[in-house]
Amino acid sequence: MPRPLKRLLAILVAVPAAATAGEIRVEVRDPKGAPVADAVASLTPLDAAPAVQPPAEPVAVLQEGEEFRPHVTPVVVGTRVTFPNRDAVQHHVFSVSRAKKFDLPLYRGEPREPVLFDQPGVVSLGCNIHDWMSAYIVVLATPHFARSGDDGVALIISVPPGRHRLEVWHPRVKATLTREVTVEGAGSATQVIALTLGVDRRVRRAPEAAGSGYK
Amino acid sequence: MRLPLRTFRGQLLLVFVPVLALAQLTTWYLVGRFNEHEARHQIDVSLQQAAHSFRRVVADRNAHLRTGARSAARDHQIRQLVSGDDPATLASALQSLRGTTDSSVVVILDPAGKVVASAGRGAPEPTLAPRLITLAEADDSPRPSAAGYGNFGGVLHSVVLVPVQAGSEVIAWLLIGFRIDREFASDLKRLTGSDLLFIGENGDALAGTLPDSAHAPIAAALRTTRAHSALRQITINGGASLAAFRPLLTGKDQIATLALVYSLDEKLAPSRLAGRYLALVTVGALVVAAAIALAFARSLARPIERLAAHTERIGAGDYETRVAVDRADELGRLAGAMNAMSAGLAERDRVRDLLDKNVSPEVAARLLRDGATLGGEEREVTVLFADLRGFTTLSERLTPPELLALLNRYLDRMSGAIEAHGGVIDKFIGDAIMALFGAPVTQGDAPARAIAAALAMETALAALNAELAAEGRPPLAIGVGINTARVVAGNMGSSRRLNYSVIGDGVNVAARLQALTRVADYRTNIILSAATRAAAGPAGAASRPLGTVAVKGRSEPVEIFAVDAGNVTGNNPPSQTDTPFLS
Repeated sequence: MPRPLKRLLAILVAVPAAATAGEIRVEVRDPKGAPVADAVASLTPLDAAPAVQPPAEPVAVLQEGEEFRPHVTPVVVGTRVTFPNRDAVQHHVFSVSRAKKFDLPLYRGEPREPVLFDQPGVVSLGCNIHDWMSAYIVVLATPHFARSGDDGVALIISVPPGRHRLEVWHPRVKATLTREVTVEGAGSATQVIALTLGVDRRVRRAPEAAGSGYK
Repeated sequence: MRLPLRTFRGQLLLVFVPVLALAQLTTWYLVGRFNEHEARHQIDVSLQQAAHSFRRVVADRNAHLRTGARSAARDHQIRQLVSGDDPATLASALQSLRGTTDSSVVVILDPAGKVVASAGRGAPEPTLAPRLITLAEADDSPRPSAAGYGNFGGVLHSVVLVPVQAGSEVIAWLLIGFRIDREFASDLKRLTGSDLLFIGENGDALAGTLPDSAHAPIAAALRTTRAHSALRQITINGGASLAAFRPLLTGKDQIATLALVYSLDEKLAPSRLAGRYLALVTVGALVVAAAIALAFARSLARPIERLAAHTERIGAGDYETRVAVDRADELGRLAGAMNAMSAGLAERDRVRDLLDKNVSPEVAARLLRDGATLGGEEREVTVLFADLRGFTTLSERLTPPELLALLNRYLDRMSGAIEAHGGVIDKFIGDAIMALFGAPVTQGDAPARAIAAALAMETALAALNAELAAEGRPPLAIGVGINTARVVAGNMGSSRRLNYSVIGDGVNVAARLQALTRVADYRTNIILSAATRAAAGPAGAASRPLGTVAVKGRSEPVEIFAVDAGNVTGNNPPSQTDTPFLS
């Protein structure tokens, strides 16, 4: 099949689906009602295998100001991620997570190759030079997902109707929260998720001027 | 030997020695109590310091290990080994870490607390990892960690737990620790001076510096100790020790107990030695005090005994001996005063002797009794005047010593006769004698006594004349005049020199009557006045009236009477016309 035809087919498949798709608005709050950012909400169709289409271009997770940006990046299985270094200093990005172990020894600028995330799961990123740098890449087996912003809202659009498993993950929550939801035709439904956050395990950045603490 | 209490020495000993002994005993007791209290306090402080030192040493070593563990936890190769599946390599890496950090055990636990790999002897007790992980997870400090105590293969360890992170993810826990064993305890004992014993949960001794025999009493004390801060006294091998207990906690769980022990006997040894010295000093001081008390009592009692003996001698009339007490104190003054008193008494005796010789005994007695006062009283007195006849002629024939010897012999006899009849020699006026009857001591029969005395004088003179005749000397003759009248009697003279005497017209009359005995016609040596005669009773009645004579100074003639020896009655009355004039 020639490539334009293939692309057209994809559009034809997608458009009718989009025409009948609904959206789920997930509001993530902590027990006090404050919005929780960096939560990843995903919907997995229960009655049909989800159509997984990794994006053609790699997703970028930057290193800027000796921090990863963004902190949490949800991707679909098969997505390639690149780690451009915008800092003057070198970084050594690595993961020892089961979903994807990789090592990008000291480099400046663009790394040579993007990293392919081909297994679903949570990948914890670190920098071997800067202990406080941490980020997550959440590799999902479904294309229906969203990350909550500062308002705590993760809006999942273009969800085909039917029963879905809603999963909400957050770096400070051990177990993924799971809930079954049904998406009606072209409606919009809101799911309010309450998360009890655990201890922030991010290593705090050492103050520049501070000496060694004696504790 | 006198009763102890009745001597000065005994009293002094009885007061001095018990007071000193009491003071010394009290001192000994108080010093002992203070020392014990102080020793306990010092031990308390020592044990607290030892507990503090233990905590400090453990904290320091933990900090050391924590730093090493953190460095290892962020090592990329360790991270990769931890997330890989090569436990053998990980274990040898941990072995290297154990060497680098000078620790006893290094263990890698998975996030759930299961042992992945370890270096060092023994496995951690099952409860240790969950406890520490819970603690570390609850630590919200920038670099979380946990520390506590735990057993590895039955050996107590101080342990530190740090996370191994990849980014924010805890991919493993690194547990590192050092042994709390006998060597550690010995080090700490060198540092603090206190003995240590680590006791396990079920009361068994884990490690320590004390011999095994000490374990049982310490564990027994621990079982009955509620508050860990309380100081307990225990007996180890017969010696007293103080023990303090401190819990060794992992979080809120007590893993073991640290017993800190200090020997009370050891602490008290110097003060007990000092106590023994003090006891020796006490005994010595008592002996010295007793000796001093005895010496002092002796130095006091001896002069007092001498003074007492001296007083007894004075009482017996010895005023001449002087007591010799050569002291400057009160006793010396007392001795001086007694000597002065002896001198005073001797002086008084001499004065009294002189008084007796110079005044009549009656006057002397009265003077001594009433004191020598100027003054006087009017009283009736019989005055006797006696004079030696022809004494002027006699004095020309004799040498002065012979004359004085003769005169004294005469006066002595006459005085004897007068005093024998209760008369008082008032004075000798040359060869004349003035004597008083009824003064200074009142005598009811004074006139009769005077008459009797006059007759006795005649008798005495006769005896003297017989002696003189035998010696080939001429006889002596006397004339006696006696008058009774109211006169003024008293001590007369200046304030420095007094004589008891009488004055008055009646005295002159007596002298005149004496002069009248020279009148040959009267043929008598003794002439009385009418007043004497009237008052003399039978003796007066026996006198022979001589008629009246004019007496100088008297406006009326005076009736006079003669007393004749042997026949006092029925003598011829003198001629009424013959009234010689007395000049």
